[in-house]
Amino acid sequence: MANTVIGSSIVIDGEISGDEDLVIQGTVKGKISLKESLYVEGSGVVEADIETQNVEIAGRVTGNIVASDKVELKTDCRVVGDIKAPRILIADGASFKGNVDMDMKER
Amino acid sequence: MATPKELSSSNNVNNTVVGPSILISGRLTGDEDLTVRGRVEGELTLSRTLIVEPSGVVKANVAVKNAIVSGVVVGNINATESVELTREGRMVGDIHAPRVIIVDGASFRGRVDMGDVEPGRLPAERPTVARPTTTARPTTTPARPAPPAARPTPPPPPARTAPPPAATRPAPAPAAPAARPGAKPMPPPPPPTRVEARPAPAPVEQATSAEPPSVLGAGAKKKVVVKKKAR
Repeated sequence: MANTVIGSSIVIDGEISGDEDLVIQGTVKGKISLKESLYVEGSGVVEADIETQNVEIAGRVTGNIVASDKVELKTDCRVVGDIKAPRILIADGASFKGNVDMDMKER
Repeated sequence: MATPKELSSSNNVNNTVVGPSILISGRLTGDEDLTVRGRVEGELTLSRTLIVEPSGVVKANVAVKNAIVSGVVVGNINATESVELTREGRMVGDIHAPRVIIVDGASFRGRVDMGDVEPGRLPAERPTVARPTTTARPTTTPARPAPPAARPTPPPPPARTAPPPAATRPAPAPAAPAARPGAKPMPPPPPPTRVEARPAPAPVEQATSAEPPSVLGAGAKKKVVVKKKAR
């Protein structure tokens, strides 16, 4: 299990940064910047700009996402915002509104 | 991994953990236990228990039901039930809670307010509330001579308004003092509770209290701190 978990009844209004995986089951507003993976679980609500390596979203995200590796939108997620990442996966059943940009440095 | 439902349905599980490399700055509110191993800055409001682990740093005004501090807290804690500073805990700020526990080894600077003292409350609980003040004490207090023996320190400054905790505590929280300039001098309000405070220089008191031989033995094993009633 990941080191950091934001539980379902927690509301954070502000900035989260760190070097480890983060699991969000609650609500985060503001900004998230990580060097590892972010998991927004089904109960998670994120209204924030996200900057990480990987993102997996099963909950709701409003905000722009920039990932250095991969963004994965899972079934039943709801995402509004722009996504920029070299790899973007959108599963059947996901709902998404925004721009997709996979045009990272190609090499 | 457990699903969110599994996690949130069991109330005894700490489902929120702030890992050691995580920094949260801003407002954090919630209805569940929170374990802090990283840093939280800003404001922290919980209807349950806050646990600050030894690696955790909280620079925030905290409002919780219970708080257990084994790490560092800079800021005020307002608890509806209890606040406990463990032996690894370091704190600068004011505590407002009906039950305050400060154990041997903890370091703390600030005020304690337990509210109205209930008539039925055990008087034995009161002395556990510590404030690191070395000057306000009766000469016969047996536990006193301990700190110099346990941790070699220069003699405390003669002026009793100086911040004496530094003399008796191992680590007066490096980041702390600047954060609360108002807390350095003794809090002004409670003159009646400090009746026993004496302006005499501390070395004199040490000499007098060292006279009975039994006193030294008793003091050697109790190196903690202080009693206080001020609020």
